Amino acid sequence: MSLLRVENVSKHFGSLIAVDNVSMTVEPGELRAVIGPNGAGKTTFFNMISGFLNQTSGKIVFDGEDISSLWPARRVWRGIARTFQITEVFPELSVRENLRIAVEVASGYRLHLWQSRNIDGEVKARVVDLLEMGGLADKADRLVGELSHGDQRSTEIMMALALKPRLLLLDEPTAGMGDQETYEITQLIRKLHRDQKHSIVLIEHDMRVVFHLADRIMVLAEGKMLAEGTPKEIAANETVQAAYLGKAAA
Amino acid sequence: METLNRQTANIIVWLLLLAMPFWIKALGGYTELCTQVLVYALAAMALNFLLGFTGVLSFGHAAYFGLGAYGVAMTIKYLVASTPLALLVGIVVGTIAAAIIGWLIVNLRGVYFAMVTIAFGQVFYFITFRWNNVTGGDDGLTGWSRVPIDLGFTRIDILHNPTAFYYVVLAIFAVAVGIMAFLLRSPFGRTLLAIRENERRARFLGIPVERHIWLSFLISCLFVSLAGGLYALLNNFVDPRALRWDMSGNFVIIAVLGGMRSFWGPMIGAAIFVVLQDYVSSMTENWMSFLGLFFVLIVLFFPRGVLGILRRKSLS
Amino acid sequence: MTQLILFDTFNGLIVGAFYALMALGLSLIMNLSGVINFAHGGFLAIGGYLAFTLMPFVGFWGGLVLAPILTAAIGLVVERFLIRPLYGRDPLYSLLLTFGLAYIFEDGTRYIWGAQSLPYQIPTVLSSPLSSQFFFLTGYRLFMVVLVAVAVGALFFILKYTRLGVRIRAGTLDLETVSVLGVNVRILRNLNFGLGIYLAGLAGVLAAGMLGLQPTVGSSLIMPSFVAIIVGGLGSLPGTLLGGLLIGVASGLTTVFFPSATEAVMYIMMGLVLLVRPRGLLGEEGRF
Repeated sequence: MSLLRVENVSKHFGSLIAVDNVSMTVEPGELRAVIGPNGAGKTTFFNMISGFLNQTSGKIVFDGEDISSLWPARRVWRGIARTFQITEVFPELSVRENLRIAVEVASGYRLHLWQSRNIDGEVKARVVDLLEMGGLADKADRLVGELSHGDQRSTEIMMALALKPRLLLLDEPTAGMGDQETYEITQLIRKLHRDQKHSIVLIEHDMRVVFHLADRIMVLAEGKMLAEGTPKEIAANETVQAAYLGKAAA
Repeated sequence: METLNRQTANIIVWLLLLAMPFWIKALGGYTELCTQVLVYALAAMALNFLLGFTGVLSFGHAAYFGLGAYGVAMTIKYLVASTPLALLVGIVVGTIAAAIIGWLIVNLRGVYFAMVTIAFGQVFYFITFRWNNVTGGDDGLTGWSRVPIDLGFTRIDILHNPTAFYYVVLAIFAVAVGIMAFLLRSPFGRTLLAIRENERRARFLGIPVERHIWLSFLISCLFVSLAGGLYALLNNFVDPRALRWDMSGNFVIIAVLGGMRSFWGPMIGAAIFVVLQDYVSSMTENWMSFLGLFFVLIVLFFPRGVLGILRRKSLS
Repeated sequence: MTQLILFDTFNGLIVGAFYALMALGLSLIMNLSGVINFAHGGFLAIGGYLAFTLMPFVGFWGGLVLAPILTAAIGLVVERFLIRPLYGRDPLYSLLLTFGLAYIFEDGTRYIWGAQSLPYQIPTVLSSPLSSQFFFLTGYRLFMVVLVAVAVGALFFILKYTRLGVRIRAGTLDLETVSVLGVNVRILRNLNFGLGIYLAGLAGVLAAGMLGLQPTVGSSLIMPSFVAIIVGGLGSLPGTLLGGLLIGVASGLTTVFFPSATEAVMYIMMGLVLLVRPRGLLGEEGRF
């Protein structure tokens, strides 16, 4: 069974049609990239999957369950975690505290008023794991707001991972980053996908990243799906070249 | 190191509070003034639970303060002559009102939330103002006073002994403040910080933001009604000014003056505010202009508050 | 009875027109600058007292023209020196600052003009009843309704057709884009604030004629204006207008049947609106 099935979703903002009748299927363990020029409706599409926006029409099925009308937190509880194009973290808390909150919420302790020593130890151990995985161990006690853009982004991805998601939605994880940072984030995503078998949907602008990482690519333009296929197929697709790659190259 | 500092600070605060009735006289104050500081401090710290630690701007907390005060006064006057029971009634009344109004407004944000809380705050003002055969209307509710507390083995005469009353209030204050500190250090408290820091991130971590804001609003209003109840006991009197908009403004400015981001900030703000109010209103009739100027100056030159500035200095 | 209902409805409409006039100014400022101007009632009182002071020199009509302009000028100065430094900071601070200003204005008017209520002379042309049957329909009341209608009409005209108005509306939707397009946002906010305060000043002169002058006139009118904005819907000026008139008429009618609930009724309306339609009657979705 597919992990995520998006069926004919559309989003209208008044008379503007941001996403027009788009469908997509993601299999477990797949890394799917969504690409397209600015204003193609990528982020809107993402926002509907994560519940940030409600679709005007269409259906979203996650692991066999129709989640189209669930509010965001419930979709998170089902196992969908996301990051944002503009990094969303808790800037005045330390990296450790950021991750700790994520771990506690994910473990269902969000209403707990007290933690036993055991649980406290488990939470701390999990936070240390995440710090190491994200290469943040040496910055654990600094405020996230003071870190570099790349480290903030890693923190955000690690917070999403703390939720033990079954599907990870990454919205332009390398946006606004230099070459070195882009490389590091790309390595991290590859590790998550290849080694840890995470299912990931990725919006990306940087073509190198996309063709490097993705199993399959979907191309959006002006709210419509233009093409779908493996990186090779997409690279060879003339419509895509005309609409997007051609422009990017020019 | 930091936890050590915090512990030292806590010990100093509690020692100062325990000894306040003694050292305040040396400074020309009196015991009731100490109690007043505690009451305002409790109200502002309770407001700050929401304002500083959940990041939600409520400008209508006087409503729940006043409901607590009227709950206490009316219980003693009409129902039963017991101070603890009266306080309980005051808390319950204030918290129920907060539960209902909180439920109506948790979906609103920012300035809109602030404006709706201001407007709702006035409902209870008009009710107490208009319903004068029960509440005493504009003249306030008189003809009652706090009742000595009977513990079985001993009797604490809080009515005639202001120092005894101060220590009873201090004990209640300690319990209330302890509970708030405990809540803020729990996983639940950390979800509130998360909402303050970044509501969108909090929501997409799976925190049901509205529900947690509602809970925080409730907790905050519970302790504000407790403070209101103590305020009524302190004065042996309550009138509609206890729940008017200017009282809400006082709580907010106290929290800002002391430092919204620190736990003890509002306590320092309350001490400054109460002493200043006592001093200035004995000097001039234009307390209102003075207070207005005070607001303007704090906002323009002192927005981080006393503890905010101290903390900044110690970091640099 | 019918006459009583008619009287109170009409009365409510007048009061509602006041609320609306005041709330429109508040709304303008809040929509563009995100500032809840708690001192709006104070500006209203200043408008009324200025008209009172000017009357011996320029008469009723002169006061009606000059006082709101002078009030707006004070508004421009206040915005420039006190409120401008707070843009971009937590809205808490501008709210606290205007809160303080409200205190200063109220105490200041009391200091200058005294605490007791001052009578405000209106021309005899306007003060006589128009008919003996509808005794309540004095010329002044009718005049007020007409003047508020003209002011509101002029406001909507300015917003729709003048360059300033178009910029204000555009800035309300997306201030950043407007500033990128080369509009001086500082001046825009300043003028917009002045426009809002002008409306408060005008409401003050009219209120003086109907209610007389007291230092507390401002703080008694500010809360209903908030309610009007919330009921009508934040971000929508027609909504604010509608909200003002609605709560005015509602409290007018309540006076007939259940006088002690006159104030409470508008808060009940507000609660109902928030319950059924949290963004207000004409509020836009997703704006707040």
